[in-house]
Amino acid sequence: MNLHSLKKHFPWMTLVALTLFVGILDPNFLRLDNLIALAGDISTLFIMALGITFVIYIGSIDLSAQSVANMITVLATLFLAQLGWFAAPVCIAIGALFGLVSGYVSNRLKVPSFIATLAVGGIALSVGQYASGQKALYMDAGLRNEAFGWIIGTTAGLPREMIIAFVLLVVALIIERRTVLGRALQAIGAGEPAAIASGLRVNRYKMIAFAISGAFAAMAGLIFAVKLSGGSPVMANGFLLPAIVAVLVGGTPLTGGVGGVLNTFIGALIVAVIRTSMLYLNVPPTAQQIFFGLVLVGAIALTIDRSKVRTVK
Amino acid sequence: MSNLASRGDLQRWAPLLVLVALIVFFTLVNPNFLSLKNFARISISATPPLMVAIGATFIIIMGSIDLSMEGSVAVCAVIFATLFTALGGTLGGWGWVALPACLIVGAICGLVTGTVHVGLRIPSFMASLSMGFVGIGLSLMMTGGDRIRVEDPLFRSLLTQRFLGFPLMVHVAFAVLLAAWFIQRKTTLGRNFYAVGGGEELAHASGLNVRRVRIAGFALAGVFYAFGALFAVAQLGIAETATGYNFMFVSITSIVVGGTALWGGSGGVWNTLVGVLIVNVINNGMIVMGLPRYVQDGVLGLLVIIAVVLSTDRKSLAFVK
Repeated sequence: MNLHSLKKHFPWMTLVALTLFVGILDPNFLRLDNLIALAGDISTLFIMALGITFVIYIGSIDLSAQSVANMITVLATLFLAQLGWFAAPVCIAIGALFGLVSGYVSNRLKVPSFIATLAVGGIALSVGQYASGQKALYMDAGLRNEAFGWIIGTTAGLPREMIIAFVLLVVALIIERRTVLGRALQAIGAGEPAAIASGLRVNRYKMIAFAISGAFAAMAGLIFAVKLSGGSPVMANGFLLPAIVAVLVGGTPLTGGVGGVLNTFIGALIVAVIRTSMLYLNVPPTAQQIFFGLVLVGAIALTIDRSKVRTVK
Repeated sequence: MSNLASRGDLQRWAPLLVLVALIVFFTLVNPNFLSLKNFARISISATPPLMVAIGATFIIIMGSIDLSMEGSVAVCAVIFATLFTALGGTLGGWGWVALPACLIVGAICGLVTGTVHVGLRIPSFMASLSMGFVGIGLSLMMTGGDRIRVEDPLFRSLLTQRFLGFPLMVHVAFAVLLAAWFIQRKTTLGRNFYAVGGGEELAHASGLNVRRVRIAGFALAGVFYAFGALFAVAQLGIAETATGYNFMFVSITSIVVGGTALWGGSGGVWNTLVGVLIVNVINNGMIVMGLPRYVQDGVLGLLVIIAVVLSTDRKSLAFVK
């Protein structure tokens, strides 16, 4: 058992160690209702991270997820008044469309993905600000409960968001493990030149990966908007860093090829436990950002596959 | 061959042509655009982003990228304002010490980002993005989310005093631009940036300490970010975390629009000047035309995509991540 084969098991071992650590600090932490509340709180972030996983898995990155989610909180609030529950599929389609544009720009126009998604994120930000008139919007409580009541509340003691997140995890897992698309993305992540050489339509699959990320970001935005009963173009700010951290500490490296959505599940739980432990240790919320930034650096350094990047630019 | 040369010429002069075309266009739409008063306005709003973009230009010439400017600018601005206030709050007294201190803080921010990127061997966009988050967190922690006021009339004279119709800060910024040009053309470090960007392996093979050049590049960029922070504080009279807001997007867009290719090895600080002017002329022009401010982000997003696409020789790329 050398270090390399051990690396695969780092994420869940970290999770167990962290949970025990916080559990010793405060035994109340390990109470079932507390753990459930913890998982419920992280659901929205987790859904966004799920989508980003697909993009990181193929060695690209999506920095637009937060802006897309911001935009969707506004659009969902606006559409709810006119479309009712039908606002949900429309929002998800819009998210997927933005992802598709990112994918097109980065794959067909050969703009590096971090710039492409940054630019598309800028466009999403503009749309959000335009649609909202630069102020916070509120959903009509009656309409919201009628159309999206199923998103909030609890079922059998479990927060509904958590159930939705779990369903989406299963969907993502099926896409990853049981579809041609999933297989193709694995091939691209493992080695893009080889995937091209074996006749795979790499560009098309990569674009779909970005579209999936956009759709998941939209779902995160939608749930967030329903939960807070409104939308604003800055509502989901602060999501991007922990979402990327969740993907990377879960064990999907920036270079892609290994890891996957199940890893992101563990990564999101790690993020949740870290956040909670900071509350117990009385770390001010502003310091959390510093800490997560450093965790991100550490996670990248530990997981990145240096044989894939000839020169590190 | 002549065809190739003309394509190169066109690429070289395209940003300047775009700038001229934009000025002509906005003047036709609204004649008030073409006035000394409006140009002074554009130059004031362009000054802080120009400083930040010049710093980032060196990094992009090396083929790396820096996304940490929002954090670095915020940290520089907050530390400057805190120190300035603590030292008496006026340039007439010991407050001037805060100016060089701010530049040193900028260099340290860059040094840390560069060391993380080179030392841990992680891609610069991610290293700098992470360190940017750390910087924003740091500045938030120092201010507790509050604003620090800097009202020293002597320091604010950078904005209030005018010379030849333009505020002092524009003249100072021009001097900094000339200094950056000197570094780019006449110093070993400046030439080394191009060597690293042109081909890292070749530069390494010819005996260049690439790692050291990279770290030095980030530290140098940090100094220019600090200039950007100083001018931003002088402009608003306020230092806060939000001082750094939007610098990343605007500066990267400006650099790319100015004609410095993301792949490294080409472009320079004059390109960046043109790029910053293009972005600010568009912003100003949109306001003159009566379009709301928030359209900017979307327009910048489109601009950066178009500029990267136009500047890329796509045949030479195997695949892009």
